[in-house]
Amino acid sequence: MEVLKEKVEEEEEAEREEAAERGEKMPRPLETRREEPPMTQEMLRDLEKKLSEIEIVILEQPLIVTKDSIDISKLPLSYRSNTLKEEHLLQVADNFARQYSHLCPDRVPLFLHPLNECQVPKFVSTTIRPTLMPYPELYNWDNCAQFVSDFLSMVPLPDPLQPPSHLYSSTTVLKHQKGNCFDFSTLLCSMLVGAGYDAYCVNGYGSQDLCQMDLTRDVCPLTMKHKEVVQQEEKVPPKKYAIKPPRDLSSRFEQEQKMKKQQEIKGEKEKQWKEEEQRLLELEKAKIDPLHGLRVHAWVLVLSGKREVPESFFIDPLTARSYSTQDDHFLGIESLWNHKNYWVNMQDCWNGCKDLVFDLGDPVRWEYLLLGTDKPQLAVAEEEDDGMNDEDMENLGKEDEDKSFDMPPSWVEQIEISPEAFETRCPNGKKVIQYKRAKLEKWAPYLNSDGLVCRLTTYEDLECTETLEIKEWYQHREDMLELKHINKNTGLNIDYFKPGHPQALRVHSYKSMQPEMDRVMEFYETARVDGLIKREETPKTMTEYYQGRSDFLSYRHVDFGDRVKKLALNSAESNPRPMVKITERFSRNPAKPADEDVAERVFLIPEERIQLRYHCRDDHITASKREFLRRTEVDSKGNKIIMTPDMCISFEVEPMEHTKKLLYQYEAMMKLKNEEKLSKHQAWESELEVDPWECGQVGGGMGGGCLNCALPYFPIQVLEILKLREEEEEAHTLTISIYDTKRNEKSKEYREAMERVMHEEHLRQVEAQLDYLAPFLAQLPPGEKLTRWQAARVKDECLSDFKQRLIDKANLIQARFEKETQELQKKQQWYQENQVTLTPEDEDWYLSYCSQAMFRIRILEQRLNRHKELAPLKYLALEEKLHKDPRLVDFLKVYV
Amino acid sequence: RLYDSVEPRVMDEDMLKLAVGEQGPQEEAGQLARQEGILFKDVVSLRLDFQNILRIDSLWQFENLRKLQLDNNIIEKIEGLEHLVHLVWLDLSFNNIEAIEGLDTLVNLEDLSLFNNRIAKIDSLDALVKLQVLSLGNNQIGNMMNIIYLRRFKDLRSLSLSGNPIAESEDYKMFIYAYLPDLVYLDFRRIDDHMKELAESKHQYSIDELKHRESLIQARLDDELARQVELEKHKAAFVEHLNGSFLFDSMYTEDVEGNKLAYLPGVGELLQGYKDKFVIICLNIFEYGLKQQEKRKLELDTFNECVKEAIQENQEQGKHRIAEFEEKHLLSLNAIREESDLTNIEVRIVEYGEDITELFNVLMTLEMQLVEQLEETINMFERNIMDLVALFIENVQSLMAQCRDLENHHHEKLLEISINTLEKILKGELDEDLPDDLRALFVDKDTIVNAVGASHDIHLLKIDNREDELVTRTNSWCTHLVDMIHKDEIMRNRRRVKEINQYIDHIQNELDNLECGDVID
Repeated sequence: MEVLKEKVEEEEEAEREEAAERGEKMPRPLETRREEPPMTQEMLRDLEKKLSEIEIVILEQPLIVTKDSIDISKLPLSYRSNTLKEEHLLQVADNFARQYSHLCPDRVPLFLHPLNECQVPKFVSTTIRPTLMPYPELYNWDNCAQFVSDFLSMVPLPDPLQPPSHLYSSTTVLKHQKGNCFDFSTLLCSMLVGAGYDAYCVNGYGSQDLCQMDLTRDVCPLTMKHKEVVQQEEKVPPKKYAIKPPRDLSSRFEQEQKMKKQQEIKGEKEKQWKEEEQRLLELEKAKIDPLHGLRVHAWVLVLSGKREVPESFFIDPLTARSYSTQDDHFLGIESLWNHKNYWVNMQDCWNGCKDLVFDLGDPVRWEYLLLGTDKPQLAVAEEEDDGMNDEDMENLGKEDEDKSFDMPPSWVEQIEISPEAFETRCPNGKKVIQYKRAKLEKWAPYLNSDGLVCRLTTYEDLECTETLEIKEWYQHREDMLELKHINKNTGLNIDYFKPGHPQALRVHSYKSMQPEMDRVMEFYETARVDGLIKREETPKTMTEYYQGRSDFLSYRHVDFGDRVKKLALNSAESNPRPMVKITERFSRNPAKPADEDVAERVFLIPEERIQLRYHCRDDHITASKREFLRRTEVDSKGNKIIMTPDMCISFEVEPMEHTKKLLYQYEAMMKLKNEEKLSKHQAWESELEVDPWECGQVGGGMGGGCLNCALPYFPIQVLEILKLREEEEEAHTLTISIYDTKRNEKSKEYREAMERVMHEEHLRQVEAQLDYLAPFLAQLPPGEKLTRWQAARVKDECLSDFKQRLIDKANLIQARFEKETQELQKKQQWYQENQVTLTPEDEDWYLSYCSQAMFRIRILEQRLNRHKELAPLKYLALEEKLHKDPRLVDFLKVYV
Repeated sequence: RLYDSVEPRVMDEDMLKLAVGEQGPQEEAGQLARQEGILFKDVVSLRLDFQNILRIDSLWQFENLRKLQLDNNIIEKIEGLEHLVHLVWLDLSFNNIEAIEGLDTLVNLEDLSLFNNRIAKIDSLDALVKLQVLSLGNNQIGNMMNIIYLRRFKDLRSLSLSGNPIAESEDYKMFIYAYLPDLVYLDFRRIDDHMKELAESKHQYSIDELKHRESLIQARLDDELARQVELEKHKAAFVEHLNGSFLFDSMYTEDVEGNKLAYLPGVGELLQGYKDKFVIICLNIFEYGLKQQEKRKLELDTFNECVKEAIQENQEQGKHRIAEFEEKHLLSLNAIREESDLTNIEVRIVEYGEDITELFNVLMTLEMQLVEQLEETINMFERNIMDLVALFIENVQSLMAQCRDLENHHHEKLLEISINTLEKILKGELDEDLPDDLRALFVDKDTIVNAVGASHDIHLLKIDNREDELVTRTNSWCTHLVDMIHKDEIMRNRRRVKEINQYIDHIQNELDNLECGDVID
C-alpha cells in the first residue's frame, strides 16, 4: 500500500506538471456555457443559486426507488463490498479528482464513484456491464435504445443541476423498471458495448426538453410523412425520324405576360404563407429556460468505426432518439466513460457540443484516467520527445508500470431480461408519450384483448384538445387487422389488413358500418377467385374493379334506383333496390377480332335498352357501336314481332354482310339478354356481399329463387363482408403462434402432459431402485462402519429373507390352487348327487362355474410353474446384486 | 345390297337447302331465318346421312363449314371437299370408299371417321397435321407397316382399327402401343400404362432404330432449312454466293479455252494465285454487303418505329376527341329528346349540328397535320436510303473493278505465257507434253490470241453480269421500298379519311332521324 501511495503521488505530480503546461493552452476551460460574456463569476453563481432554489420548489417528485425498497441482503457480495482492485481504483480516481480540482478549480467536481444501492462507492466504469442480449431484436442500436426507453420509466434527477449521488446497478434498475438518465445511459451503454458498438456514457448538460423527457415540442416521428422520391424520367433523345411538331402559332409575348402575372400571384401567396408559418412558430416556441445550460444530463455517445457506424452520434436514452453531435439540445460535456476508461473533456463548450472533437486518443482534448486504453495516442507525445527527453523518460517508465493497471471487471451481475419482461416491455405493458400535437400510447402485445398495441392520436392544437385523427395499430388479430385510421374531421374510418383475411380484404374505408353508404373496399390481388380488387359504394351506386378474369371483365358500375314501396304482405321479405343501369367494361381479349370484342356494355334496365361499344381496332380511331331496343310488341295482325331492323341501331367501322342480318342481331340480342340477367344477378350478389341485412333476409325469404332476375338462387358461399367485419370486431380473437410456448394453450397442455408422464416414469424408476438392504442395515447401530462379520450377516439375512419370501409366495399359490380344486371337487360331487333334480338354470350355473373354476385352476397352475422356474433365478440375481452392492463389496470380496 | 334397291341420289341445291333448313335455327330464330334465308357460307355444321348419295358435290359454297356428316351413303370416292378448309370434323363412315384421297386442303381437320369402308392402305393424310381422332375400323387394312405411317401425327390420341385384317394378328395391340406411344385410346378403349410399358420393352430395338432414322431425317431437314434461311439473308443483302469461289468457278465453267490453257506450264500456279486474290475480293464484297444490309435494316426499323409512334399519338388524340364528343353527344341527344319547346329543339339541333361540323374539322385537321408530318419524314428517309444504296453500289463497283483489274492482269500474264509457249513450239524447243486439244490452239499467233481473248471476254462478262445483277436488284429494292412506303401512307390516309367521314355521316344521320321523328311528332 505504501508503495502504491507513493506511486500515486508521483503520478499526481506528473499530472500537475502536464496540466500546468496545458493550462497555458487552455486559458478558459468550461465555466461559461452562456452567451452573456460580461457576467462575472460571482454574479453567475448567485444567479445559479437563486434559480436552483426556485426550481427545487417546483420539483416535487422525490426519488421513488428508495433504499427501503431494495433488499440489500439479497444482493451478491460484489454489490456490498469492494475488492482490492476496486479499492485501488477508487484511490486512483480520488487522486485524479484531487488533481483535477486543483488544476481546474472552476469546474464542477467529476462524477467518478457514486454510491450504489448498498451505499458502497463504485467507480462508474465498473458499473457498465457489457452484455449481448439473447434477443436478435436487440442487436442494433436503434432497437436497443427503443427498448431501454420503453422498458424503464423516467425519474427526474433529485437535483437537476447536479449528478446524482447514487448510481444503481443495471440489474436493480431493470428490476424496478425505474431510473434517472444516468441509469438509462448505463444500461444502454452496457447493451451497446455488448453488441459491439463503440459506445460511451456521457455526463454533460442538456436542454430542458431533453432533461425532462419533454417531447411536446417535437413532431412525432410517426406523423411525419415520407418524402416522395420524384423519379426523374430519363429524357429519350429524339429519334432520327421523329416527326416535327406542328408549328406553334400562339404569341410568345402574351405567354410571357401571363407567366409574369401568375408568378406575382404565387409570390404573394407564398409570402402570406410564410408569414403565417412565422406566426405559428412564434407561438410554439418554448419559454426561455432560466436554467439553460446548467441542467445535468446523461446520454450515450456512439463513436464511428465499429459495427459499420459511419459517423459518431448521440443517443438520448430517455427518448431513444439519435442526434447528431452538433445538435442544439446538447450543451456541454463534462466527462465520458465506458467499461474500460474514463475521460474528462478539456475542450471549451461555449458553443454547446458543436465544436467538440471526439478523438479520445488526444490527451490535450480528453484527459484520461487510466492509461493503457485501446485508443491510440496521438503523435503529439512523440513531438514533445525532442525537447524534454529526461522527463519523458521518467514518465515513460511510470506509464509502463501503470499500464499493468486496467479497469477491474464490473461488479454488476449479468444483466438478464426475461422473455416475459422483454415482451411486456413498458412497465405494466403500457406507455404514453406526449408529442407536439400528438399522443402516442403503446401497449404490450396480448395486453389488450382486441390486440391493440399502439395508438397515435393527433391533435389540431397545441393544447391537445381537438382530436384530428387516431391511428391504431393492432397485432396478432385473427382477422388480420393491422391498422385502423380514424379521421375525426371527415368521420372516415380506414382499416388496413394484412394478407390473410378470409375475404382477402386489404383496405376498408367507410363512414359507418351501415350498408348502402359511402365505402371503399380494396382487396388483395389474385387472392380472390372472382378477381375483385376494389369495390366502391355510394348510396346510389356500386363500382367494382376486377383484374385477371377469364371473361376479361375489368369494371362494373351499378346505379340503383329508389326502393319501391311494397305491400305490407311482402315487407318481411327482401326488398332489393331496383337496378337502373349496369355498366360493364372489358379489357381486350386478344383471341377475338376487335370488332367482335365488346369493350363496354350498358344495360339500361327500365328502358330495356342495351348499348354495346366494341374495342377499337389498332389502326382506327372509331369503334363499332350497337344499341338494342327490346320491345316485344304485337303487330296489327296479332303476331308477335320477333325482330325488326329498327330494334338494333348499329354503327360499324367496317360494315360486314353477316352482321346486317336480322338473325345475327336476334341471336346477339338473345345472348345479351341472358348476360344481362347474369350481370344483374352478379351485381345483386355483390351487393349482398356488402349488405348484411338483405342477405340475412334473403337466406330465408327468397326460398331458393332470386325474384329479381328469375335465376336459380346461387348459394352465396361468401359470407357478407360487413357482417363478418362486425363479428370480427366483436370477437376480436387473437392468434397465437405455435411457437409461442407460453400462450399457446394446446401446446402448453401437451407439454404439461409430457411432463407429467416423465414425472411418473421417474417415480416408477425410483420405486424400482428400492433399497433392498435398508431394513437390514437399519437394525444395525447407525453411524458406525460395517464390520466384515456384520456385512456377512446382513447379506445372509437378506438372502434368507428373500428365500423365505419366495417360498411363502409359492406356498400361497399352492394353497389357493388346492382350495380351488377342492371346491371344484365339492361342486362336482354335489352335481353328481343332485343331477336328476336340477333345473336347467342350475345346470347352466353349474357348467359356467365349472368352466370358470377350471380356468382359475389352470392359471394358478401356470403361475405356480412359472414361479418355480423363476424363483431360483431371482434368488441368484439377488445374490449377484448383493455381491456388487457398494456397501458390502469391500467385505464380501474376501469370501469370493 | 342396300344401295341396289334404292335409287342413288345427287347432291343438289334442293337437297342442301332442305338439310340446312331442317338443321338451322328453330322457333323464333327459325322464323327469322326463313324470312331472310340462310346463306350457305354461314352454315357451320351440316348433316347429310342416309341420303344414298353417290358422289359428293355442290359443297363449295359452305366455306365456313366446321362439321360435316356424310355417313351411311354410297360414296365411292372422296372428292369435292377442297374448299372446306375450316372443316374440323368429317364423318365418312359406312360408305364404299376404297382409297384415302382428296383431303390435302383440310389442314384443320381434327376428327376423321372412315369406319366401315373398303380402304386397304393408310396414306394421303399428310396435310392433316392437327388430327386427333382417326377411325378406320371395318376396313381392309392388312399391312402392319401402315401403323408406322401414323407416327407423324403428333396430336393423334384415339385410333380405331378393329375389324381390319391386321387386328386379327397376335401382335396387333402390342405393336400399336409400341409404335404410337402418344396414343391414349385404341379401338375406343383406354390404353393401360402397364401394357404400354410392356409393349415398349418388347419392340424396343426396332423402335430405337426407327427413331434413329427419323432423327437423322429430321436433322437433315433442319440443316436444309437453316441453309435456306442463310441464303435468304444473303439474298436480302444482294451478295449471295459471294462468300467463296462461286463466282470464280462460274467464270470457268463455260470457258472451254481457259480450261484448256490451264494445262500450260506455269499457268497452274498463276491461276491459283489469281483465284486466291479474287476470292479475297469477293469475300470483301460479301462482308461489306452484309454490313450495309444491317445498316439499311436499322435505318428502316428506326423509320418504321418513328412513323408508328407518330400515328399512334395521332390516333390517341383522335380517340380522345371522339370520346369527348360522344360524352357530350349523349347528353345533347337526350336533351333534344326531352325538350318540349319547339324553338328550343331547333336551337339545340343547330348547336348539335355545329358540334358535328367542328368534330369533323378537328379530326380532319389532325389527319392533315399527320399527313404533312409524315410526308416530310418519308422524304427524309427516302433521301437517306437512296444515299445508302448509292454508296453501297459505288463501293461494290469499285471492288468489282478490282476484280476486273485482276482479270486483266491475269489475261496479260496468260497471253505472255501463251505467246512464249507458241514461240517455243514454233521453234520446237518445248519439252513438256501438251494435251492434244491444247496443242491444236498453238497453230499460229492469231488463234492463240483469240483463244485467250475469248476466255478473257467470258470472264469479264461473268463479272459484269454479277455486278449488273447486284446493282439492278439493289436499285429495284430501293425503289420498291420507297414506293411501298408512299403507297402505304396514301392508303392509310384514305382509310382514315373514310373512317372519319363514315363516323360523321353516322352521327349526322342520327341527328337527321331525330329531326324527322320530331317533325312527325
